[in-house]
Amino acid sequence: MEATIWLGTAFALLSIGLYCISRPSMIRILLGIEMILNAGNFTFIYFAAQRVAAGYVDPLGQSIVFMSIVTGGCVVAIGLALIVNAYKQFNTTDARELRRLKW
Amino acid sequence: MVIPTALYYMFSPIIMGIVGMLADKMKTPKLRDGVAILVSLWGVLSMWMLYNMGVSAGDILVFNIGGNPPLGACLEIDMMSLYFASSAVILSLLITIYSYSYMSHDTRLTEYYALLCAITVGMVGVAFAGDMYSMFIFWEMMGIASYCLVSFRKDSPGPIEAGFKYMIMGSVGSVILFFGMAFIYGMTGTLNFAQLAMTLRGGAITPWMVIVFATLIVGFGVKAAIVPMHTWLPDAHPEAPSPISALLSGIVIETGLYAMIRVLYILYEPAVFKLPMAILAVVTMTLGNLMALRQDDLKRMLAYSSVAQIGYMLIGVSTGLAYGLLGTFLHVFNHAFMKGAAFLAVGSIDHETGTRDINKLKGVGRKMPYTTLVIIIAFLGLAGFPGTSGFISKFILFSSTIGAGLAIVAVIGVLNSTLSVAYYARVIMALLGDEPADAVDAKEAPFLMVGVTLVMALVILVFGIFPDSMTTIAAEASNALIEGLGNYIGAILK
Repeated sequence: MEATIWLGTAFALLSIGLYCISRPSMIRILLGIEMILNAGNFTFIYFAAQRVAAGYVDPLGQSIVFMSIVTGGCVVAIGLALIVNAYKQFNTTDARELRRLKW
Repeated sequence: MVIPTALYYMFSPIIMGIVGMLADKMKTPKLRDGVAILVSLWGVLSMWMLYNMGVSAGDILVFNIGGNPPLGACLEIDMMSLYFASSAVILSLLITIYSYSYMSHDTRLTEYYALLCAITVGMVGVAFAGDMYSMFIFWEMMGIASYCLVSFRKDSPGPIEAGFKYMIMGSVGSVILFFGMAFIYGMTGTLNFAQLAMTLRGGAITPWMVIVFATLIVGFGVKAAIVPMHTWLPDAHPEAPSPISALLSGIVIETGLYAMIRVLYILYEPAVFKLPMAILAVVTMTLGNLMALRQDDLKRMLAYSSVAQIGYMLIGVSTGLAYGLLGTFLHVFNHAFMKGAAFLAVGSIDHETGTRDINKLKGVGRKMPYTTLVIIIAFLGLAGFPGTSGFISKFILFSSTIGAGLAIVAVIGVLNSTLSVAYYARVIMALLGDEPADAVDAKEAPFLMVGVTLVMALVILVFGIFPDSMTTIAAEASNALIEGLGNYIGAILK
């Protein structure tokens, strides 16, 4: 039952993230990517909590989550910088307007 | 664990950034450019030092950082890792020398060289990683640096659009890969390659293993530009500055392929992924070649040609034999030089004439003879004409399918090669054709740019006529994966 709740939450985050990516707003697309990353983090934490040795949860899963938050922050920084520049060039944050390059 | 001196190359992006900032403060831009070339030379020397530390004799170097597996990070260097890393640093050196001349009119070169360094170190790290998590960190490092470099010329809309598209697709791939890693961790409690292979390889194919397989294909496939995850590539590669296009097409997408090969062989028996890989190979090369036929932009055409070449490389993976992988590895090295030379030579034309439209470039070959010579050699190599190195690797790739019982893939591959000649020949004929009255004004590119591309063209010809030395090294690399897998696993566990 516990596994269903935890993994179900992770899958829910994954689906919400994928839904957000399919939306036109560039900010929302970026938030969708973060949500999928957090679905991964969530799963790592759950599986780490399942492996208890000598009274401690597995440190590997926990440390991986810390590092993935850092890389996720880098991706968001680059993404926001690109969105600012896209707003300067196209005067909108609607991803549908970025269609100069086709075929 | 003592980290050998050769691996200090991993810190080079930081050094490059600091030196670049100081050079900006002291108003000595030549110092920064010189240091950039020295740093990429440092990379080549580091690979040579690692090769002589026992990898040449078939040893496997293992460096555990921060504790023993599964907890600590792990770098594991065998012949296959070193082969990929060496291809990356050699191409990076040539590209840095070319950039010295090509980028001399641009601003923000400190960022440019530091990010170029970061891409190279990211690729070396992906090749050396001994656990999935180190691989993911270096993977993101390579990815983030390449998103920045694609949108380097941020004052025009094209690079921003291409960079945004690349960023979204690349990071969606990465986070899905991360999600898959979470399930692998859940099944085994480790991410170390050796321990994963001990636990999962050869086991039953449960539904969880199928989900993991799908996430791996999507995660690595986006960076490797496997159809249908290729749509960022034809936008991103043409809009990047030409040296970066050469690096992205030449080796970055192949790093995605390397990571996929490494992880798939660790987790599954070759029989599991033979058929999916063969289907992906056929779809990728056919679509790449068909789309390249209808491009007028030279760099866009080369970008689609890269998609097709990834399809040829997948043929070798689909056979699951050492001989097929020998073809894949040889084609990675040869493609790095052929596509690198082609992109750099097209960059020279773009630099001198200001256009990349094939229809406007009629007769340019008479004004830029050396650059055109390089383009002809590189294009013949990409099409697989005998006498160039592309012929050798394609021959090995196609002949390897017979042993794996996938001869139909080879037939489609040969048909595709024939198809590809159509668009390569169109460019060569346009460049060599008669000069129309309204021909663009052009002169030969600066000495350094022509020199680098001529050296690369020479390499294509030399390895086409005397392929033995390179084939031997690629065979060692593919044997390290197929026959040496037991040693690879044993080296960590002992």
